[in-house]
Amino acid sequence: MSRVPPAAVALLLSVALFFLAGLVQPNFVNAAQAINIVRLAAFLGIIAAGQTLVIISGGEGIDLSVGAVVTLGAILTFMISGGSSERLWLALLVVLAVGAAIGLVNGLGIVFVRIPPLVMTLGMAGVVQGTILAVTRGNIPGGVPRALANLVTGRFLGVPGAIYLWALLGLLMWFVLQRTRYGRELFAVGVNRRTAALSGVNVSGVVVLTYTLSGLLAALGGLLLLGFTQRVFLTLGETYLFPSIAAVVVGGTVLAGGRGSYFGTMAGALVLTMTESLLRSMRIGEAYQMIVFGAILVVLLSVYGRQRERE
Amino acid sequence: MPDRDPPASTPEPLLSARGIAKRYGAVRALEEASLSVRAGEVVALLGANGSGKSTLGKIITGITRPDAGTLTFDGAPLHLSEPAQARRRGITAVYQELSLVPDLSVAENVWLGHEPVRRGGIDRRTMKGRTAELLASFAGVFSVPVEPDTLVDSLPPSERQLVEVVKALAWRPRLLVLDEATASLDARQVDRLFELVRGWREGGMAVVFVSHRMNEIFRVADRAVVLRNGVTVGERRIGEVDEQELVQLMTGGGAVAAIALEGHDAPGAAAAPPGATEAPVVLELRRFASGVVAPLDLTLRQGELVGVGGLQGQGQSRLLLALFGAVPHQGEVRLEGAPVAFRNPRQALRAGVAYVPGDRNREGLLPVRPILENLQLPNWRRYGTPLRMERARRDAAAVVADLDVRLASLDEPVANLSGGNAQKVVIGKWLSRRPKLLLLDDPTKGVDVNAKAELYRLLARLQAQGTTILFHSSDDAELLGLCQRVLVMQDGRVTATLEGDTLDQRHLVAAAMGAQGAGAA
Ligand SMILES: Nc1ncnc2c1ncn2[C@@H]1O[C@H](COP(=O)(O)OP(=O)(O)OP(=O)(O)O)[C@@H](O)[C@H]1O
Ligand SMILES: [Mg+2]
Repeated sequence: MSRVPPAAVALLLSVALFFLAGLVQPNFVNAAQAINIVRLAAFLGIIAAGQTLVIISGGEGIDLSVGAVVTLGAILTFMISGGSSERLWLALLVVLAVGAAIGLVNGLGIVFVRIPPLVMTLGMAGVVQGTILAVTRGNIPGGVPRALANLVTGRFLGVPGAIYLWALLGLLMWFVLQRTRYGRELFAVGVNRRTAALSGVNVSGVVVLTYTLSGLLAALGGLLLLGFTQRVFLTLGETYLFPSIAAVVVGGTVLAGGRGSYFGTMAGALVLTMTESLLRSMRIGEAYQMIVFGAILVVLLSVYGRQRERE
Repeated sequence: MPDRDPPASTPEPLLSARGIAKRYGAVRALEEASLSVRAGEVVALLGANGSGKSTLGKIITGITRPDAGTLTFDGAPLHLSEPAQARRRGITAVYQELSLVPDLSVAENVWLGHEPVRRGGIDRRTMKGRTAELLASFAGVFSVPVEPDTLVDSLPPSERQLVEVVKALAWRPRLLVLDEATASLDARQVDRLFELVRGWREGGMAVVFVSHRMNEIFRVADRAVVLRNGVTVGERRIGEVDEQELVQLMTGGGAVAAIALEGHDAPGAAAAPPGATEAPVVLELRRFASGVVAPLDLTLRQGELVGVGGLQGQGQSRLLLALFGAVPHQGEVRLEGAPVAFRNPRQALRAGVAYVPGDRNREGLLPVRPILENLQLPNWRRYGTPLRMERARRDAAAVVADLDVRLASLDEPVANLSGGNAQKVVIGKWLSRRPKLLLLDDPTKGVDVNAKAELYRLLARLQAQGTTILFHSSDDAELLGLCQRVLVMQDGRVTATLEGDTLDQRHLVAAAMGAQGAGAA
């Protein structure tokens, strides 16, 4: 009687939902639709990568600044490149550096000033949003580099680039979590910081690095998202904040820290996107969508909780 | 085996468990376990680490449900689906893994789930009053003040253990299971507990007592029941058996038992390196102080094994933590002649210092993570990027074999291990490092006779390779058997240094209790 990992539960659920959708909406089930849903999930999944690390790091870890940083990443790309593909590299560098810097400040505030993560990152979200507003005054000049649009929406073997990028990130995240010292120490820090410190782990370093990575990944998510939306607006990233946390949790990563995987988050992103598309295709209003999301969260969490009790 | 000798002309047992079996996945925790206890009797439950003692205790108290077997209590079949039922029948336990809520006070913990009520609210006054009465049975043996309002989080392991006992007593049990309740207690606390146990026995309470310290079994128990690999293999009256026979029953006899005994009686004393006084100095402390630890001077030479004793909670743990850089300190520290001032454990580790913490659950383990990760946590740096997992796994398997950790697989969470096996993991993560200076804070807590002998041999091997060891233990026999020199601490001060002629039980006890003239201060 072996346990099914939460990542697999979530993945099965998303597949089941897809075919269930076919019963309700026969024209829903086809390859094009499947690919479309995975592509939508890719953006959520990429944005939730940093969130996964932060939540694994424990200590009430959460990053509420990802929404604002996604927006900032998209706007910076839009403005710096000005639509020129040659300057996309420059934009990429600046975006990654700025995202990492924001995450670094989050991490330093949390570790050294001991501001609770919730407060620190919420404050940071406000600062970033406010700065964007103050600097641009709602007037954002720029453009979307063609190379970026091609990279994200262009197809290879019928599959859009965003999905390849997501798969690549999935492998990279697996590698970081399972095959690097940082990954192993991150789990340890998430379970018990005292044990970790007494075993020679640089706990402060691991936590600061984790928030830095989260900022960097969110900013990268913003850049890629621009290639898809082709336009920028001030609330671009905000809509991803709650789903980025939900995807992590639906994927079986424990909010208390120390347990989880990015494959779980990927499956979680699929479940959420799948459900949203289905509900939307059924013309179910946003209020009801939220109710369904909430219900899914509760049901899955209790299933995972029960499995853990049996361990 | 003709191992069972049912004592003649005895009254009905209060509790009897027959043919108990329990599996966890592929692991058979219990296969065919039986145990009976009469009112007014103390039964010692013995067995190696992982033999199923705690599992049986949890079945008796309704925490775990058996797969097979029957329980009878007071002459009637007993079916337990939750601990509350057992407690209502008068069955409680002090479990090996402490169960107190750190953020609550002592009184709140003691009455958790059965708070005295008055006019629909919790009656705090009664609650505190009755807690104070219960605490009074341990008056004079606490190493820090324990009041009903004291926050549990602020208590050292030994005091938390005593609060657990008090908590069990608050249920007024007829049957009490003490699962390694003495593992972190000092001599004086154990004495008091045994006095109380004898009193309870007079009053007709039945007690099941689990401990890996053999001398305790002989002091307090009337009968011993031995488990081996989940099977009850024998039962003896204490007056009619000796330690060797019990150890043989536990281990299945043979050569292993012989080594275990030798290790227990005179562990490592023969390993004293000749001419140790000429060996180079490894650690030198000048007016070293930290928190409760008053300024002290100390010189340790290469390959020395020096003990730190005294009653529990006299600053021993703090001294070791401070040497490891985990808490701030004042004064001078020289490691191999060079001045050092570790500000965190990482720096200490890099300089070749290792530390085995005294509180395995709060400081030593990552319960939900696999055994492999627990063992390799300090060592990942050695496996490069990408981590060479096969090598990490092979090295971990070697440590596990060295310490004879009973496990299903290295990927299993460490929380699934028995208490003693989990403790071996805490020790094991440092073994492959060959530290210059090894700091041990009561490392054999809950470790069985065989594994202790194995650990003593490992220490001797490390000593021979030049590791210097500073060793705190709450077990006097262990300090006397292992160490060439023992520092006795009281109230944060080193009040005596015992060596040569003064290194014996009498001097150790006298020095620990604060008697004068036990040795040079
Ligand atoms: N929750 C669990 N899941 C899986 N295996 C378990 C679990 N609890 C106990 N076991 C296994 O059952 C066996 C018996 O464990 P138990 O804790 O009863 O041993 P013990 O005799 O109390 O040992 P110790 O002296 O080390 O405390 C061990 O092999 C242990 O790994
Ligand atoms: Mg046990």
